[in-house]
Formats: sequence, C-alpha cells, structure tokens
Amino acid sequence: MDPARRLGPAQIDVLAQLAVATVLLGGIYALISVGLTLIFGIMRVVNFAHGEFLMLGMYLAFWAFVVFTADPYFVVFVAIPLFFVVGLVVYGLVMRGVIHASHNVQIFTTVGLSTVLQNVALVAWSGDFRFVRPWHLSTVLRAGSTIFNLTQVVASLIAVALTLALVAFMKWTHAGRVMRATAQDREAATLMGIDTDRVYRLTFAIGIAAVGAAGVLVAPLYSVYPTAGLQFVLLSYVVVVLGGLGDMLGAMIGSLIVAAVEVAGSYFFGVAWKEIFYFILFILVLVFRPAGLFGQRGAETLGV
Amino acid sequence: MPRFVVTLVVAALTVVLGGELATVGGQATSGEYRIGVLEPITGPLAFEGKRHMEGLEIVRDLINERGGVMGKKLVFSVADATDPTVAASEANRLITREGVKIITGTFSSRLCGAASEVAARHDVIYWESSCVDPRFNKRGLKHVYRTEIDATGFGWYNIEFIAKHLAPRLNLKPNQIKIAFLSEDSSYGQGVTESARQRAKAEFGMQEVMLEYYNWQTLNDMTPTILKMKQLNPDVVHHISFSNDGVLFWRQSKEQNFLFKALVHAGATGYGGSDFGKALGNDANGVFALLEPGPGFRLEALRPEGQQIEKAFRDAVQKKTGTYPFGAHQLAGSGLWLLKLVLDRAQSDDPEKFRAAVMSLDLPVGSMINGWGVKFSELGQNANDRVQHYMLQWQNGQLVTVWPEEFTTLRAKWIPLGAWDQRK
Repeated sequence: MDPARRLGPAQIDVLAQLAVATVLLGGIYALISVGLTLIFGIMRVVNFAHGEFLMLGMYLAFWAFVVFTADPYFVVFVAIPLFFVVGLVVYGLVMRGVIHASHNVQIFTTVGLSTVLQNVALVAWSGDFRFVRPWHLSTVLRAGSTIFNLTQVVASLIAVALTLALVAFMKWTHAGRVMRATAQDREAATLMGIDTDRVYRLTFAIGIAAVGAAGVLVAPLYSVYPTAGLQFVLLSYVVVVLGGLGDMLGAMIGSLIVAAVEVAGSYFFGVAWKEIFYFILFILVLVFRPAGLFGQRGAETLGV
Repeated sequence: MPRFVVTLVVAALTVVLGGELATVGGQATSGEYRIGVLEPITGPLAFEGKRHMEGLEIVRDLINERGGVMGKKLVFSVADATDPTVAASEANRLITREGVKIITGTFSSRLCGAASEVAARHDVIYWESSCVDPRFNKRGLKHVYRTEIDATGFGWYNIEFIAKHLAPRLNLKPNQIKIAFLSEDSSYGQGVTESARQRAKAEFGMQEVMLEYYNWQTLNDMTPTILKMKQLNPDVVHHISFSNDGVLFWRQSKEQNFLFKALVHAGATGYGGSDFGKALGNDANGVFALLEPGPGFRLEALRPEGQQIEKAFRDAVQKKTGTYPFGAHQLAGSGLWLLKLVLDRAQSDDPEKFRAAVMSLDLPVGSMINGWGVKFSELGQNANDRVQHYMLQWQNGQLVTVWPEEFTTLRAKWIPLGAWDQRK
C-alpha cells in the first residue's frame, strides 16, 4: 500500500508538511549558494573551493561554541568580517594570479585550493565528526499540524535577506554598478577607468563572507568534518545553473526548485532517486536553456 | 673503467641481497616470532586504525607475558596501509623483504581485499580481525581467515534480538512485527540490511513495510522519509547509519513526533559511535546498536579461561588508555589472541598445518576475549553463533550492554519507546 496514493485530511497534512520542508530546505540551499552565485556572476570563475569555505565557517561555529560557548547567531556577526578578510587574502594569494587565465586553469586552481583546505582541516582538527548543539537546536514552531524547525526558519530568512541586500547593493550603489559593468564587459570597464582587479577582489571577499556566514548558520543542523562542504557543493552548482548563472533572485528560485525535486522525489519515489531527478533537471536546463531558467540569452558566455 | 663499474654493481648487490637474506634467516634463530601487521596508521582511516594497533600491541604484550607463540616471543613488523594500493604494496614488502609468513590487519573493508589477495599469491596466511565485507572470504582463497563475523552476521544478530527479545516485550508475535528497513548504501549497510531482511521474512515472517537506501554524504533532509514512515507505522525501524544520517533521522523524527517502538542499528558507525551520544545527549536514549560488549558486561558469565583473559585485557586497556576498551581494541585484540591459540596448536606456520589447526579448533561461547568462541567454516570464517555479539543501548549518554541478558548486569529500557519527552 503506497501512502502517497491515498488522499484524505491526513494526506493534506502531509502535503503541507512536505511544502514546508521544501521551503526550509530551499532556504538552506539558497543561503549556501548566494556567495557562489555572486562570484560566478561577476568574476565568471567557478569556485570549486566554495564548499571548503562553507566547511571553515562550520568549524568556526564549532570552535566558538566549544571554547567560548558562543551561540552561532552571535558568531555569524564575527564570521562576516572575518571571512571577508579571508576572501581578500585568498584572492591576493591565489585568485589574482589566475583571474585572467583560461577557465581550465581557474578550475584546476580552485580544485587544488579545495583539496588543500580539506587537508588542512584534516591535519588541524582530525577527521572526527563534530557537533554544535545550541539550546535552540531542536526548537520547533507549530502552525496547526505543520512543524517548522527554528534553525531552518532563521537560515531561510537570512538567505532571503542576504539575497535582497545583495540585489539592492548591485542595483543601487556605485560599487554595485561598477561590479555589474565589469561583469558585462571587462575590457570596456577597464577603458572607462574601472580598476577591475579591485572589483574582483571585492566580489570574491563578499562571496566568501556570505558562504562563511552560511557555514556558521548551518553548523547546528549538520555534522562538522573536513569534507562537510562536499555535501552541498554539487548542489550549489545545480542551483546556480538553474538560477541563470549569476542571477541572484534566480538562484533563490533555483534553490526552491532543487529542494522541491528533492523532497518530492524522496517522498514519492525514495531518497535514492532525489539526485537522479535534480541532475536530470540540471542537464535538461543546460541543453535547452543554456543561460539557465531565469538568465538572459548569452549570459553563459558573458565575459569569457 | 667498465670493469670497475661491474665490480661496483656486484659488490652493491651482494651487500643488499646479503642483508636481505640475513633478515629472513634471522627469524628462526633469534627466539622471536615475527608476523606482519598491516593497519592504516595515517590517512583517512587512521583514527580507527590506530586504535586497532593499540589493541594489537596490548594483546601482543599479554601473549608474551604468557609464553609467547610456539614458545617464542611474538614481535611485529608494522606497515602503514593508508589505502588499497598501499595496502597491497606493503603486504608485498612484508612478505618479500621482511619474510613474514603471517599477516594480520587491516580492519577496513576497503583494505582487506587488496591486502589478502597479495598474501594469497605468496601462499602467506592472512588473518583478518575485522573487515565486515561479506565478499571477503568468498573468493576461494584457502589461507585467508576472518575472526570477526561479517555484515551478514550483524543482520542475523539484529533479527535474533528483534524476534526473541523485543517481540515478547512488545506483546507481539514475530510475524506480527511491522519492520521498516532504512540504510546507507555502502557494501556494509547493504550487507547487514539484506541479510536482516532475508532472515526476518524467511525465518520469522515479519512484515516488511519499507526498504530505503540512501547516500549519507548527500543527505540533507530526512523529513520526507519520516513523513512516509509515519504513515506506514512500523513497530521497529532497522536503520544502518553512517554518521550524521543517524543524528539527522533521530532529531527530525523527534521534531515530527514520529513514534515507533524500537530502533535497531548494527556496528560502530552512526548510532553505534560515540558521536551520536555527543550530538544528542540524553535525547539519544533508547537506540539499540549491535556491538562488542560494553559497560555492564558480566565477567562471571564467561568460562574460566575466558574470564581470565578478558579481565587481563580490560585491565591492560584501562592502564594504557584510561578507558573501557573500544570496539577497535576488542576486535584487534581478540583476533590476535585467537591467532595465538591456533599457532600454539599448529606449532608451525606452514599454511597446511595452520589450516588444519584452525579447522580443528572448537571452543564454545565464553572462551576468550569478548566472550567469543571459535568454530571456523571451510571458507575460513568464524561462525555467527560463536562470535557472540551484544546489543548495546544508549542510556543517559552511554552505550551499555543489555542483551543477551545472561551476559550483562544492565537491562534494556524504554520498550516500547514512549513519547519523545519521556525517555529519561
């Protein structure tokens, strides 16, 4: 007897709960993908080390919790400036040298960076699984018979806030306009007197600050270990592609689509199917709408 | 000039080969007996590997205090098997350079296959103390042995526990039990789950209401699965977890107020690891995990010789590490102790004589470390019902031994599991 086939009040409750699960999981994916979208959108660099910066954010939350019993919601305010600086340093040491190189070189470099960071974490903190357990970890909110996990609700709200803030920043500030101009045509931007190197440095630092903060916020939900980033990194690429390769609001919607496919696939077919479904979606989008579901035609080749 | 080069080469070869022959020949005369030990001491498997190594060293010292093996002092040639390729090349080195006739190790299912292939090629005895891959001794390798049961043995014990211990306490006949199978998709998870499914159905007629495998590394949310299970309403959840997946399932089941009567796991991963307790504290209460014996284990339940060695082993581990033995200590330690029993009986490392000694050993449960007994099959596998395993339960931050009851002073609680906030 397949529970999915019966329809009654109980079934409607389940559907409501599945919808909530989708929104909350989508919120986490959006939160994790914001930084990747930004870096990809402006710099046209696929940052394969994205998941490792997430992992570093998770470790920051863990150590802050163990050493200072600091709540992740407090640590996140420390994480943003800290990871901004980390972004500046990594840009100066690594990315700056390859920003004008071919995509292949950039891919090799960021994959290398990813492996280095994983192993640094392994050497420094061992391969043990660690857990962050703030008091609000298992707090749930109820609306009727539908249940919301508080940590996930907060993560989703921050994802929305962060996305809107970045969209506003890009649209209405001078720095944002300069960044968009650089993304649209690097050479023309240079001719207009824009220091593109500075733009890239700023973009990279903002992107890393966003993913660092995301790491801190999701740390209580998942275990912290050196390859924790791998759990999310493939998924973030799917989100970025669905969303239109650099489109911030598109990535938000892309996250919800991935989450919906995952939740519905797990419920109706089984967990093993979820990745099959969303990677089929990923391939279909790349074949039929190479600029992503919400991207403009030609966006995929911008700046190449 | 060329003649000088030739002379030099010959001289160099003589030194190198002569040195090697001396090492090989050294074994028989020095009053020491050397075996090869392959464990991952560095790399991703090192955490468990080092504990296995610790267990081996502790039992080696116990053996030497008790007359060594075949009247000689037991010594190790240790090699670091970080991954399958290194395991194979290091096995080769131990055999050809160090001249060992017996290799023991490697604990991991990722390593034991490659290492034992090499040993078999050289007609060297391979003695595995863990490695739960069911395929391990189904490859027709005559001198490959495993002292621990494999994943299918874990499934066998889990169903034994559910049918004979849980069912009566739930006031159900085994064939009335609705059971949901959930598992991570490694060869271990599948091995345990498939053998449990088979025994549950064929021997006890339990009602399987669900079967799901998942990849723990890409699992971010278990809510959909839990919602599905809630509707199927199983009595028992048989869940083999790897790490975070156990924590995620348990935490989200609590959030969704999913009530079932018992959860049973097997092995030192997921629910069976200390991480689960660390992650959940007292919320972990009630989960069952099939393991080696833990706190509560009754020495008096063993046979006299078993009591003696188990006590010496526990004290030695306590002295060296300050804790109750971990699973890794127990598996490595009991494997090595069993090797001593075989060597003392065979009085030889000749593969044929060794095999005859292995096959003739017939010790009841309770005869050695962990309360194990011995009876090997023709495949070189120690028997399920001799390699006694124990059900442990999370009780207030600790995994304690609760079954079989004759082996423990502690009792299982929360059968059936009550409301989530009342498991204290």
